[in-house]
Amino acid sequence: MSARKVGVLRFPGTNCDRDVWQAIEMSGGQPEWLWHADLFDPSAYARLILPGGFSYGDYLRSGALAARAKAMQSVREAAERGVPVLGICNGFQILTEAKLLPGALIKNESLRFNDDWVGLRMRNSCRYFASQVASQVASQARSAHVMRLPIAHADGRYYAEDDELKRLEDNGQIWLTYEKNPNGSIADIAGVMNASGNVAALMPHPERAMADWMGGHDGLSFFMHGE
Amino acid sequence: MSRVDNLDEKLKKYRLNRHELGLITERLGREPEGVEWALFSALWSEHCSYKSSKVHLKKLFNKSKRVLESFGENAGVVDLGAGERIAFKIESHNHPSFIEPYQGAATGVGGILRDIFTMGARPIALADYLCFGEPAAPRMRALMDGVVRGIGGYGNCVGVPTVTGQTEFHESYNSNILVNAMAVGLFSPGDRIFLSKARGAGNWVVYAGAKTGRDGVHGASMASESFGADSAAKRPTVQIGDPFFEKLLIESCLEVMAQDLVVAIQDMGAAGLTSSSFEMASKGQVGLRLQLDDVPLRDPTMSPEEILLSESQERMLLICEPEKFSAIQAIFHRWGLDACKIGEVQDERVVELRWHGETISRIDPDILVEQAPQYMRAFKPWKALHRVAGEADVKTGVEDGARFLRSLLGHVHGTSRSWIYKQYDSRVGAKTVRDCAESVAIQRLPDSGRGLGIVLGCRPHMMRWDAREGGIDAVAYPALELAAKGFEPLAVTDCLNYGNPEKEHIMSEFVASVEAMSTMCEKLDTPIISGNVSFYNETMGRNITSTPATGLVGLRDHVDAIPHGVFTREGEAVYLLRLPMAAVGGAAQEITGQAPTGYGQLEPSLIAPFARLLRVLTGARNEGPLVSSSRVVGKFGLAYALARMCAGVVGCRIEEDALKTIRGDLTVDDLFREHLYEVILTALPGREAELEAAVRELRGALTMASFVRIGRTIGAQLEIGSLLKAPVASLAESYQTGVWAAMEKEVRA
Repeated sequence: MSARKVGVLRFPGTNCDRDVWQAIEMSGGQPEWLWHADLFDPSAYARLILPGGFSYGDYLRSGALAARAKAMQSVREAAERGVPVLGICNGFQILTEAKLLPGALIKNESLRFNDDWVGLRMRNSCRYFASQVASQVASQARSAHVMRLPIAHADGRYYAEDDELKRLEDNGQIWLTYEKNPNGSIADIAGVMNASGNVAALMPHPERAMADWMGGHDGLSFFMHGE
Repeated sequence: MSRVDNLDEKLKKYRLNRHELGLITERLGREPEGVEWALFSALWSEHCSYKSSKVHLKKLFNKSKRVLESFGENAGVVDLGAGERIAFKIESHNHPSFIEPYQGAATGVGGILRDIFTMGARPIALADYLCFGEPAAPRMRALMDGVVRGIGGYGNCVGVPTVTGQTEFHESYNSNILVNAMAVGLFSPGDRIFLSKARGAGNWVVYAGAKTGRDGVHGASMASESFGADSAAKRPTVQIGDPFFEKLLIESCLEVMAQDLVVAIQDMGAAGLTSSSFEMASKGQVGLRLQLDDVPLRDPTMSPEEILLSESQERMLLICEPEKFSAIQAIFHRWGLDACKIGEVQDERVVELRWHGETISRIDPDILVEQAPQYMRAFKPWKALHRVAGEADVKTGVEDGARFLRSLLGHVHGTSRSWIYKQYDSRVGAKTVRDCAESVAIQRLPDSGRGLGIVLGCRPHMMRWDAREGGIDAVAYPALELAAKGFEPLAVTDCLNYGNPEKEHIMSEFVASVEAMSTMCEKLDTPIISGNVSFYNETMGRNITSTPATGLVGLRDHVDAIPHGVFTREGEAVYLLRLPMAAVGGAAQEITGQAPTGYGQLEPSLIAPFARLLRVLTGARNEGPLVSSSRVVGKFGLAYALARMCAGVVGCRIEEDALKTIRGDLTVDDLFREHLYEVILTALPGREAELEAAVRELRGALTMASFVRIGRTIGAQLEIGSLLKAPVASLAESYQTGVWAAMEKEVRA
């Protein structure tokens, strides 16, 4: 297995796949497509990414159908073996629907799609994604560090029951929070991790902030290799 | 019922007249039978045949060394050099959007996207030109909400960013809104351009995509009629879109084309299977034999007429060599779609329609496509006929400048459109450099790193003042916006929205404005290479403002150091670059309840070198950039343009004396007039002398142009001499009112 090989999941309706591919290449990784209808060898990839989009049109709950696609059996296996898995936007929705991440993503409070730039704080660092930022944060005053990334979603309002939210807090599973809540997410949550920290996801789109010409490069760190 | 009544009924049903029936009978050598009525109804409709406009459209400036494909194909194609090419087009979906705003707007987006990827280009950007009625008009907020949701619902899901737009309001659109959608697609180096010409006897006709249903039957002829009181009853003629299906269709079609498996391809748009099959045959100078029984149906009880006229969305027609069919089918299957054979190409130039083992029609496709009637509708040559008597004294009647400025910034006409564009994904595709918040949208071309600028044009208040000047402005203003960001304008697409062409004054405006646009395009060397005409935007005798919406694309060597749209740094010199030709009170007058007046005449032969000068000043220069920020002065004049540049924390102080040297006596009133054309520029620190020298050197024969330093950027205040003072924060606050809140405020008032 090449340490740089990154598997990119493609479901029907995934539409940020090529953008994520570009981001991986810009960061020196080797992207490879993984098709929704096929199983794959989880040990063949250094990490997996579930990009954004509207899998199966999101006509049912966002991500609900993709979570049951064949390739997700291999994603689950990879997650259990500790392979780092990153979900972005619809990828986040798919991972919660697959129960690989806690909580759920429901309609924005405004009931409208929202395209914007947001400020994000790193509440807890993830060993595998944007970990360089985490070390930077540690060296600065923690509260001062804000990342800027674009969002574009209609179902981005994170929700968890009280006891679950408390567990997330206690276990340090809250990864990213919004500086100014754009969608009504509980506890301003923009991204979470699983208990072992190898599955992480966020609603904002780091692949759209890879260079100054895009409006910022805070997305770079999400595609650089941590460990 | 007598036989004559029967015929009249039939003509009415199929929206044909007796003269046209005579033509049909003459060309067929017999009377039309059965489904043929429906074929002529669709293909000879205004929407498909351009019968009232074709004689004028033929004269449009449409050639340049960059143009690879133009009218006659699904979209125009322009060569950008370095192997990169773009396809682009704008199209109207006005009537459906008024009847059913969500689906009307959504399928408008879906349809224009198919025109792009059907040529083999990957769609990379969408733009929308929208005209609504007065906020308090019946259904108007629901219409705007539905249209915006429809555009977002489709574009966001299909994964193409919406990067720019224009939204206008006027009472003439109260019962006939305009929804025009533009799409841009990219051919990367090595990608082939696919055309719709059917070729090769024995090749297969393949149907791919969604099944055919009853939606949109007679849609094309519906779109060619004025509205009466019964528009709600026409809801069943509106198509229903499925962006998820379209996404699968984009990926599968592009894959089929990348593997070179098809001979020709066209989407089924207006008039569905009828237009696509007859047009493919006519363009290729071949015939087709179609088995209508083999068309996949949602409802097996559909009649051949319904099958032929259905405008069900997300369907494509392909021509392929028989041995390549299985490979095509495999690709569609992989994406969860179906493809099936429904006919064959034949040498004999006849389209033969088969149904239940019988031939129900045999017609030379040229009769339906090429030989549709063309009408020279009555019009008068333009002599400023409609111009409201234009005197030099344009009164907006404004006294308190700061107060009026703030009211404009919070008014439906002048406030932020962010409520609209935040509902659109502006960055999917990861190429967006500048989005809807800016005057020009910019996409970065991935292979060359160059910038592609996209901007919409046509300012209805200019059209209401004078159709000729408005026509020039519909090209000149967006071209200047591109030039102000250093882009070379390359080509134009237009969506000509007009009222009833059978009325002389409407046709006069059409002819005057289209000729004016064409002249402007010729001077700029930006050919018009695609678009459509939407006539009969008339409801119960009331016509819309003639609205020739345009879409321009431009090119820039790289995307670094592009001038900002707002002031970003204190202490920069502020300049006004002017080409004074005309002045209008236009938008500011209308807002205060007056008719728009103005004087002067726009000269395309001066505007073109002015645009070139502007582009060189702001473009990618080897010697390094000179300009920090730029904005073309538009509706509401200089004060409003300056206020829009004071959107951050930086303001400016404009010297009254400096303005007087170019404008003579200066009044508050004058700050809200539009002087055509003016551009605000600020110099990068330390580059003032170089910028001034560059203007002197590059101006050449353009002696009418002037370049005057009018002030400097300062802290958080906008000051125009003693005439107007306002804190930047108060301006931003007014502007952030937003279009939705401004509409609600007006309804309550």
